[in-house]
Amino acid sequence: MTPSSLFLRITAWLGFLFLYAPIASLVIFSFNESKLVTVWGGFSTKWYGALFRDPQILAAGWISLKIGFFSATIAVVIGTLAAYVLSRFSRFRGRTWLSGAIAAPLVMPDVIIGLSLLLLFVAMEHLFGWPQGRGILTIVIAHATFGAAYVAVVAQSRLVGMDLSLEEAAEDLGAHPVRVFFDITLPVIAPALVSGWLLAFTLSLDDLVIASFVTGPGASTLPMVIFSKVRLGVSPDVNALATLVIGIVSIGILVAASNLHRAARDKEDAAPSHRTNEDMS
Amino acid sequence: MSETTAQTEIRSPTDPESPPFLQIRNITKRFGAFVAVDNVSLDIHQGELFCLLGGSGSGKSTLLRMLSGFETPSSGQILIAGKDQAGVPPYKRDTNMMFQSYALFPHMTVEKNIAYGLKREGVPRAEIATRVTDMLSLVKLNGFAARKPNQLSGGQRQRVALARSLIKRPKLLLLDEPLGALDKKLREETQFELIKIQETLGVTFVVVTHDQEEAMTLSTRMGVMADGKLVQVGAPHEIYEYPRSRFVAEFIGSVNIFEGRIEQDGEDHAVIGSPDAGMGIYLSHGITGTLGQEVAVAVRPEKIRIGKSPMEDLPNTTQGTVDEVAYMGNLSVFHVRLETGKIISVSQSNLVRSPEDAITWGDRVTLGWDGAASVVVPS
Repeated sequence: MTPSSLFLRITAWLGFLFLYAPIASLVIFSFNESKLVTVWGGFSTKWYGALFRDPQILAAGWISLKIGFFSATIAVVIGTLAAYVLSRFSRFRGRTWLSGAIAAPLVMPDVIIGLSLLLLFVAMEHLFGWPQGRGILTIVIAHATFGAAYVAVVAQSRLVGMDLSLEEAAEDLGAHPVRVFFDITLPVIAPALVSGWLLAFTLSLDDLVIASFVTGPGASTLPMVIFSKVRLGVSPDVNALATLVIGIVSIGILVAASNLHRAARDKEDAAPSHRTNEDMS
Repeated sequence: MSETTAQTEIRSPTDPESPPFLQIRNITKRFGAFVAVDNVSLDIHQGELFCLLGGSGSGKSTLLRMLSGFETPSSGQILIAGKDQAGVPPYKRDTNMMFQSYALFPHMTVEKNIAYGLKREGVPRAEIATRVTDMLSLVKLNGFAARKPNQLSGGQRQRVALARSLIKRPKLLLLDEPLGALDKKLREETQFELIKIQETLGVTFVVVTHDQEEAMTLSTRMGVMADGKLVQVGAPHEIYEYPRSRFVAEFIGSVNIFEGRIEQDGEDHAVIGSPDAGMGIYLSHGITGTLGQEVAVAVRPEKIRIGKSPMEDLPNTTQGTVDEVAYMGNLSVFHVRLETGKIISVSQSNLVRSPEDAITWGDRVTLGWDGAASVVVPS
């Protein structure tokens, strides 16, 4: 082994250690027998049992899953449409504005998104009487807005990489442009949309700040419950809960990654083949 | 070659008296300030295999995309079977297109790809099945129906794309570089298959290509495009033997160009004085032009005879030294430097395996060509 490759290995391991040591210790301590979080008292799965007997956590988990599911689904619809418009219609009024507006939630601080959405919901209720109060619905809307931004980014990269002549070929064979979108475009970018959905779902499951702003009575998501529990002192059942969440998120990321991998493999069909850059078409 | 002659007879365009099937009238396409297609007019008859030949940026693809409806002409008119195509979207046109990238739908099987056009047309399922089967055997892909495009070779994909574009029995098929993505050997085989299919179905083909050999082999007639303009239209042998401009002469095949002035111009002969060649070039026919006018004489390499002995039977002879010899198997190409410094390329068929007096580097040779071998083009 050459010195430089040894150096690379060490750097890589240190990097992994830095990223995953806290998570690994959390997973290990979730199997701790002792009630004291920092003292190892032997292996046990009792905190997992305690978790599933805690109605508050179960209810919050169910709410989080519901919010994640609906917000991710809405985000995929809105995000795909936005990405389609941005990648297929090259010039229209407000294009720059739209592409900026879509990317904004990616960089906007959560506190500001949460606060502005809260003000919007309050104003809307005042003006139209909808949405009535705040709760699951408002969290779904809030999560869908920033989720759509992530979906749009993922979908747009796939749409740009797609061979435009696929759509033209379908149109040439007699399909109306709307039909082309459903028959050709959607199936070709489907892997990206699945990844986008999983991304939006994970982000929704993860969010504490925005949800705290726009929630109402009876709609506490899992992160909110964990956060309030930790404020009363870290108990081992929170470790167990966190381990479960990590498990779910990891599975989601693995599925999304393998999806994108498969998409990259299929790409030779959908990507533009070396056009001879002939004419200004 | 005898096969090709027989084919030419069958493949001659149907009745030139009938109104043209495709009429392109003064079509211009601008992208901003750039003129991609410049006032092109062209008539194509039913059953023709017409090739649009041109280099990159010559406007040939843009013209094809206007025929298919993907681009709108800036001005001019396109008539297919007498009907004006202005405002007709691609999905309502009676044309089909075969794309350069093939554009096979990656998520559909070969069968579904081919059937797609019929499904959109609302053809009954049983009829779709028989027509797809027929089409698969026409392109020799029986047994591949259930495969996905990424499980096919390049040649097979090309045939799926062809089958898909033919399934709706279009009267006009547009092909964008149909053989461009195939390797040389496969391309030569496929050329003849494509001609056979075109003859069997009697569909009018308009093919865009940058490959002159492909255009010559495929077409009944071809058009040469440059800078958005249609420079010359004619049968392949007309374009090759009677180029009307220096551009066409140089673009199609290789050619020797001699610059000169018209010295004599009679009924049955003309002489072009060429300092390039160091002599007066004799032509066995009269030309149009005024005495003293600057012109260029184009002589193809295979029309020049090369030898070590004088050639008294030919009106044009000159001497030079062999600079380069390129042996290409079926023929050899010689680069001969004349006394004027001009380098002439001459090709000769290798009729004998190892000739004893083979011409080689440094040899003094005589070059000669007939009075009918050259073409005069505007300088």
